[in-house]
Amino acid sequence: MGLDDGAALVVRGLVKSFGRRVIAGLDLMVQPGEFYALLGPNGAGKTTTLRMIAGLMRPDAGQISVFGRDVLADPLGAKAIMAWLPDEPLLYDRLSPMEYLEFVAGLWRVAPGLAKARAEELLETLGLWAHRHERCEGFSRGMKQKTVLAGALIHEPRFLLLDEPFTGLDAASARLVKEMLQARAAAGAAVILTTHILDVAERLATRIGILSGGALLAEGDLAALQVHAGVSSGSLEDVFLQLTAA
Amino acid sequence: MFGQAGFLWLFWHELRVLWRGSILVRTHKYVLAPVIIVGLLFQAVALALGWAIIKHPLPLVEMVLVANLNLFFFGVLMLSRAMTAAIDVLYARGDVDFLLASPIEPGRVLAVRMIGVGLSVAAPWALLGGALANALAVLGQVWALAIYPMLLAEGMVAAALAFAVVVVLVGWVGPAAARRVGHMLALFMGVFIFALGQAPRYVAPEHLARFWQGLMPPAGAPGVLYIFGRGMLGQAGPLLGSVAFSLALFLLVWAVLEGRFAKGVITAAAYRPPGAAARQTGEFRAMPFTAIFMKHLRLLSRFPGVASQTVYRSLTLVPVVMILGGRLRMGGGVAVVVPLLVFLAGQLGLFFISVMVGSDDSPELAASAPVGRTLLRQSALLAAGYASVLLMLGPVALVVWRAPGLLADLLACIGLVLVCNLGVGFRLPIPLIRAEFGKAQKGTLLGLVLGLGVSSFWAVVAWVAVEPHPFAWLLPA
Repeated sequence: MGLDDGAALVVRGLVKSFGRRVIAGLDLMVQPGEFYALLGPNGAGKTTTLRMIAGLMRPDAGQISVFGRDVLADPLGAKAIMAWLPDEPLLYDRLSPMEYLEFVAGLWRVAPGLAKARAEELLETLGLWAHRHERCEGFSRGMKQKTVLAGALIHEPRFLLLDEPFTGLDAASARLVKEMLQARAAAGAAVILTTHILDVAERLATRIGILSGGALLAEGDLAALQVHAGVSSGSLEDVFLQLTAA
Repeated sequence: MFGQAGFLWLFWHELRVLWRGSILVRTHKYVLAPVIIVGLLFQAVALALGWAIIKHPLPLVEMVLVANLNLFFFGVLMLSRAMTAAIDVLYARGDVDFLLASPIEPGRVLAVRMIGVGLSVAAPWALLGGALANALAVLGQVWALAIYPMLLAEGMVAAALAFAVVVVLVGWVGPAAARRVGHMLALFMGVFIFALGQAPRYVAPEHLARFWQGLMPPAGAPGVLYIFGRGMLGQAGPLLGSVAFSLALFLLVWAVLEGRFAKGVITAAAYRPPGAAARQTGEFRAMPFTAIFMKHLRLLSRFPGVASQTVYRSLTLVPVVMILGGRLRMGGGVAVVVPLLVFLAGQLGLFFISVMVGSDDSPELAASAPVGRTLLRQSALLAAGYASVLLMLGPVALVVWRAPGLLADLLACIGLVLVCNLGVGFRLPIPLIRAEFGKAQKGTLLGLVLGLGVSSFWAVVAWVAVEPHPFAWLLPA
């Protein structure tokens, strides 16, 4: 059994040090269907947190569970329902998008017929169909980003960890990706994203956490954050700057 | 140190980047001591060779021919190396746009790049030839030190020609194909030198003598053709003439390219979206092992230089085929092919696994998947083993045909050398791929040294297994 039945993500007492403490006793809980934005200034520990949740880095202390699966005790079980999208696209330049999706679908054991249908649908939706058999080495940053997004979605993960997912995307592609992610959340998946574009977080996220010095400074929707920051109104940017200024 | 961005400052920056990316800096500390010892031994051998050269001096015309031929071989190999280096510094390292966006004069950037490439391709030959030159100089033949300015000048010519050829080729066929041309040039030269070395085995002595006689310069070696050879022999006029010619050619190419480089036309030629079409051969499978295995084979087959590097390593097959075909007779008979094939299998395995580990741009993608580490390791090892075995099938079939009694020992030793070297290459891949801008290069010289040691060890074991007399190969056939 997991730490908290029913929650998509439960993080308790997470600690990580690289010489100095980067994550200092972080607690986090995300529910299914939630779109959670993890914000913070540079070096706040966002990427380290996501990497530990994705099972790529072991914490010094603490517990992580994803949909009841303990990431530390059963990493493969947890990874099976997760997708992790780092800030730099994890792509093989000498593979085509179709070959890349074939590889990713194989890693996540997606049934061949289903994988092929999903790959075709994703490539079509993301505007990559005409380039499906071209090697990624000549692709723009946006095309690479869309290819890895297709890879992250091909196994229909219940839990998505997205580190700066909109980098390099044009306005139309960014809107399309937002809609796809919202659709995943509406279908019961949980999405955690980090971004420095606060407008995106303000419009997309159902809940926002602000991380600084390896610990959560504040958490909640915009109204809750405004209360926490002691401001009666203002954008997320105003609240963020107020909270992280100290 | 902060400084004004002048030519020397930029040159210092280039040298620093080249040095930090060099194999000597990144290599394992335990390799440096053996490398120094080997270097000293090499210098000692060069001293003995220098002594022999002085004791048995060749006529001037023969010396000029030898110097000219060496310069030709060095030049072609330098050109090949300079072509891949030029592609790297113009298109792959990714910092040209960064530098062009700065207020540094673009002509300086290009000049520094060209000089850097020239130095980097001349340096290995200067180290190699320098050992003999140093030995000769110590023995009183100071003229031999002319090899240093001559090789430096040749490096600059190679760099200039490489930049000119690469700019044309990349604009025409793209950086990947241009890189392949560079690799093929090195391959052809390697095969040519190898074939020349083997010529006494398949060319009648009188024909060979006539061939060399035809190349011999006339008495005194007059004429432009021999100016470089005479320069290397330390004759002041030809030496100065060769250096001046090299400098003039270098400046000419720089002047021709500088304008286009400043306008960004040269670097822009590499951008050719969309990417080259890939032949879709696979299909979706719900099996992580197959997915990783296929991915490794695809990346291996698309690795630039895979064909030339494989052929290079497979030159061992030439004596094997000649021995099995009865064209070459050695002490120990056909059994000699067993250690040769075992060595080849070890080197192929080491190369393939190094390519797979080195060209895996996104290891964290597989790490984030629900796949155990053991499976990741096994699939890479098996893919490299599969590629090696595939290439060894032909030679093994030849052994089955000509000497079936050797098969059991051959297969056992091939299996053992592959297991060992795949393990070595997986943990310590040999350096094959230059790092992109801002990234560290994968690979270590330790892997290369260990892998060579493992291949040699199992080749010796194989030889001892098939031939009771370990020195039989030295005996007359």
